[in-house]
Amino acid sequence: MFMLSLQTTGLVGLAVAENPHERLRILYTKILSILENIPKDAAYRKYTEQIVNERFDLVKKESDVQKLQDKLNSGQIEEVIVQAENELSLARKMIQWKPWEPLVEEPPSNQWRWPI
Amino acid sequence: TVRPKNEVEQKQLCAFGEYVAEILPKYIQQVQVTCFNELELLIHPDGIIPVLTFLRDHTNAQFKSLADLTAVDVPSRQYRFEIVYNLLSLRFNSRIRVKTYTDELTPIDSAVPVHKAANWYEREVWDMYGVFFANHPDLRRILTDYGFEGHPFRKDFPLSGYVEV
Repeated sequence: MFMLSLQTTGLVGLAVAENPHERLRILYTKILSILENIPKDAAYRKYTEQIVNERFDLVKKESDVQKLQDKLNSGQIEEVIVQAENELSLARKMIQWKPWEPLVEEPPSNQWRWPI
Repeated sequence: TVRPKNEVEQKQLCAFGEYVAEILPKYIQQVQVTCFNELELLIHPDGIIPVLTFLRDHTNAQFKSLADLTAVDVPSRQYRFEIVYNLLSLRFNSRIRVKTYTDELTPIDSAVPVHKAANWYEREVWDMYGVFFANHPDLRRILTDYGFEGHPFRKDFPLSGYVEV
């Protein structure tokens, strides 16, 4: 991604994001506020908060887009934004599904035995 | 000759398997890593859409690509069909297998809302095995002939079929 007025991400369908720091800041704060609705001992909340806080700190410290991309090591900034949006929608769905509860139902004893 | 063992990849896959099992204990019944470094998650059928959405959207597990959707027929079990999803992560270059079970009469949630690619694969599983997918946009036969009766890939379907051609 070169810093001229004609920019491109090189990826089909992904437009260049103007002001990515602001967008990422908004997304990460939204994710963290949604994670507050999950019980504190759930593993999903723990790990997602860890990931989001790491990325949020990097975004706050680094104001140059190229260097931020290298530090995050996760593809283009636009891809990082898309990933944050995915994580946001996943967090909303997790609140409904509640996957931290214990196992729904044990399988029959011969179900996963291989060879039969 | 024997394929050399890749201990590093085995350990990474084991660690990732434990990570996913810790986050989703409600649906994951078992996690195994084969000797060829293939990670498999064994799921309760209610948990297909949550697990597939988690694997697609979570930052540590961006399995955006559904490589394959098949079924395995084991008639001696109570839930005879085992549905297998093979996922690929392009960001982390790794694969994972998700397995569920069902019998002939219980429908399974369709994976089409999560991965559009599942559309024709689920039509094929319906046609060949008779596994019904709930909320599928267009579940009809895809490989058998128009008036064909029966589900050919089942173990009790004879090799040369019932109709003489």
